[in-house]
Amino acid sequence: MTEYLIRRLLQSILVLFLVSVAAFALMHAAPGGPTQMMISPGLSPETAAIQKHNLGLDKPVPTQYVIWLKNMLTGDMGTTFKNNVPVGDLIWPAVKNTIILMSFSWIISLIIAIPWGIYNSTREYGLSDQTANFVTYVGFAMPAFWFGIILQEYFSLKLDWLPLSDMYSMDKQGDLGNLFMHLILPASVLILANLASYVKYSRSSMLEVLEQDYIRTARAKGVPERKVIFRHALRNALIPIITVIGLDLPILVAGATLTEKVFNWPGMGRLFVDMALAREYSVLMAITMITAVAVIAGNLIADILYKLVDPRVQLGRKGGNA
Amino acid sequence: MSELNTTTAPNVQPTEPMVPENAPLPPSKRPPGPWMMVWKKFSRNPFAMTGLVVLTIFILVAIFAKWIAPYDPAQIDMLGANLKPGTGDHLLGTDELGRDIFSRLVYSSQVSMTIGFSVALIAVCFGSIIGAISGYFGGWIDTLIMRIIDVMISLPSLFVNILVMAIFGTKMIYLILILALTSWTGVARLVRGQFLQLREMQYVEAAKATGVSSWGIIFRHLLRNASFPIIVNATLMVGGAILSESGLSYLGLGIQIPKTSWGQMLSNSQEFMLTNPMQAIYPGLCILIVVLAVNFIGDGIRDALDPRQKNSRRRLAKWRKNFLKSGI
Repeated sequence: MTEYLIRRLLQSILVLFLVSVAAFALMHAAPGGPTQMMISPGLSPETAAIQKHNLGLDKPVPTQYVIWLKNMLTGDMGTTFKNNVPVGDLIWPAVKNTIILMSFSWIISLIIAIPWGIYNSTREYGLSDQTANFVTYVGFAMPAFWFGIILQEYFSLKLDWLPLSDMYSMDKQGDLGNLFMHLILPASVLILANLASYVKYSRSSMLEVLEQDYIRTARAKGVPERKVIFRHALRNALIPIITVIGLDLPILVAGATLTEKVFNWPGMGRLFVDMALAREYSVLMAITMITAVAVIAGNLIADILYKLVDPRVQLGRKGGNA
Repeated sequence: MSELNTTTAPNVQPTEPMVPENAPLPPSKRPPGPWMMVWKKFSRNPFAMTGLVVLTIFILVAIFAKWIAPYDPAQIDMLGANLKPGTGDHLLGTDELGRDIFSRLVYSSQVSMTIGFSVALIAVCFGSIIGAISGYFGGWIDTLIMRIIDVMISLPSLFVNILVMAIFGTKMIYLILILALTSWTGVARLVRGQFLQLREMQYVEAAKATGVSSWGIIFRHLLRNASFPIIVNATLMVGGAILSESGLSYLGLGIQIPKTSWGQMLSNSQEFMLTNPMQAIYPGLCILIVVLAVNFIGDGIRDALDPRQKNSRRRLAKWRKNFLKSGI
C-alpha cells in the first residue's frame, strides 16, 4: 500500500509537471503571446522594451517557464498585468465560492440519486425507472446553461420568487439566508446535470451486484428482501459508485463554468472565462494548475477509497488499464 | 462464412429418399451480413428510428437552409425589432435587432451539423489510429501515449477550449480542431482496450504467419473488428460536440456574428429576457432535440450490437414480476 501510494504520488507529480509545461507552452504559442496584450499600442518602442523587460517577457520562453515554476513552488502565483493585483487575492475567494456551489449541489444530487437508483434497481422498467431514464436522456442532451436561463426567466422574472443572479443581494453581503436563496437556481441546474449520471451509475452498479451468486444464496436461505438489498447488495454496489464520483470531480469544476456565467456566480469558472478574454496569463496558469491538482487528487482519493472499502481490490494491478 | 452456410442452411428433409448422391444442393439464400442484422434490430427500435428521422430532417434543413429560411439571418431591421411570433411572415417573430428568428434558427443548424459531424469524424479517426498503435504495438509506445492521455484528461476540456479560443481567436476551423483535439482520448482508450483483446486472436496469428504487415493487420483485420463500438462512440460524440459548441458560443468564444449558431442566439437572448422571453426557448429546444436524436441513434446502435443486453433483461424482469405476483 505505501509503496503503491509513493509510486502514484510520484506519477501525479510528473503529470502535474507535464500539464504545467503544456499549459505554459499553449499560452506562449499564441500569435503575439502575452507580450502583445501587455504592451499598450500607444507606447514608443523604447518604453515598450522597458516594460517588456520589467515584466520579464523579453527572456526566452523556457527561462520564463523556470522563473514561473520557481515562483509557483514558493507559493507566489504572480500578479495580474492590469492593476498589479496579486493572483491569490483573485483566485482564493473564487475557489471558495465555487466550492460552496459545487458541494451544495453535489451533496443534494447524491442524496437524491443514490436512493433513487437503488429503488429503480429493485423495480426494473417500472414507472420510476422509466422516469429516471427520461431525466437521464434529457439531462445529457440539454445544454445546462439553457436550463439555467429558463429557470431565471420563470422563477425570477415571471414569478419573482428567487433572485436572478449573483451570490448576495447588494445590501446583504455575508447573510446566510440570502446566500441560500441565491444558491437555489444555479444549484438546481447542476443537480439536474449530475443527477442523470448518478442515478444511472447507482442503478447499474446495484443491478450488477444483485445478479451475483451470494445474493441468490441470501435470498434462498430466506433473508428478507430489505436486508438483502441494504446489507448484502448496497455495500458492494457502493464501491464503483465511489470511483465514479471521484473521477467526476474535474467535470464538476469545469461543468460549473457555464452555470456560474449564467448566474453571474463569482466562482472559478467565471473567473477563468473573464481572465481568458482579458488574457491574464498568470491567473489562467494558476487556475489551470489548481484544477489539475484537484483532478489528480480526485483520482488518487477515489483509488484509495476503493481500496479501503473493498480489501479484495489489488491496487496497481488493474489489468490492461495501466 | 458464407460457404459454411450454404452447406448447412438448406432444409434437407430426411424423409425424402430419392436424392441422387451427387445432385447439386438446392440454392440457398445468402445469410444476412452483420450490418444487415444490426439494421434489422435497429429499425425495430422506435426511439432510434425517431432519432434517425429527426436528425435527417435537421440535416436536410441545414443543406437547404437557403430555400427554407424566408430572410437573411444577418439582416438587421431596427423598425421591425422584437416583433411577436406570427407578425407578418416572421414565423417566430424577430429579435432585438429585427432579425428573423426562424431564419436564424434554420441557418444555425448548418453550424451545429458541420461542427457535430466534422468534430466526431476527426476525433474518431485520430483517436482510433492512436489507440490502435498503442494497443497493437504495446511497450514504450503504449506507455508514452497513455501518459499523454493522462495529461490531457487532467485538464477539463472546457477550460482548454476556452483558453485556445480566447488566445488564438474565434475561427470556425479552430473551433472544430480544438473540439476534436479534446475529445479523441475516449476513443483512443476504447480502441486500445479492444486491440489488447483482439490481438491475441488466432486470425491475427494466422495473418502474421502469412506475412501480412502490421499495418495491414491493424487496418484490415483489427480495426474492422473493433468498428462497432467505435461507431457507437462516434455517434455520441456528435451530440457532445454540438453541446460544446453551444456552450462556447454562449460564452462569446465560438461562432461570431454575422454567422449564427444556437448557442450564440442564447447568449443574445439572455440580455433581452424581459422584452422577449420566448427568444431563449427556441434555440435551446433545437439543441435539445438534435442532441436527443443523436443520442437515441447511438443507443439504438449499441443495443442492436449487443446481443445480451436490454431485451433479455427486460424479459427477465417481466418474468420475475409475474413470478412474485403469482405468490408462489
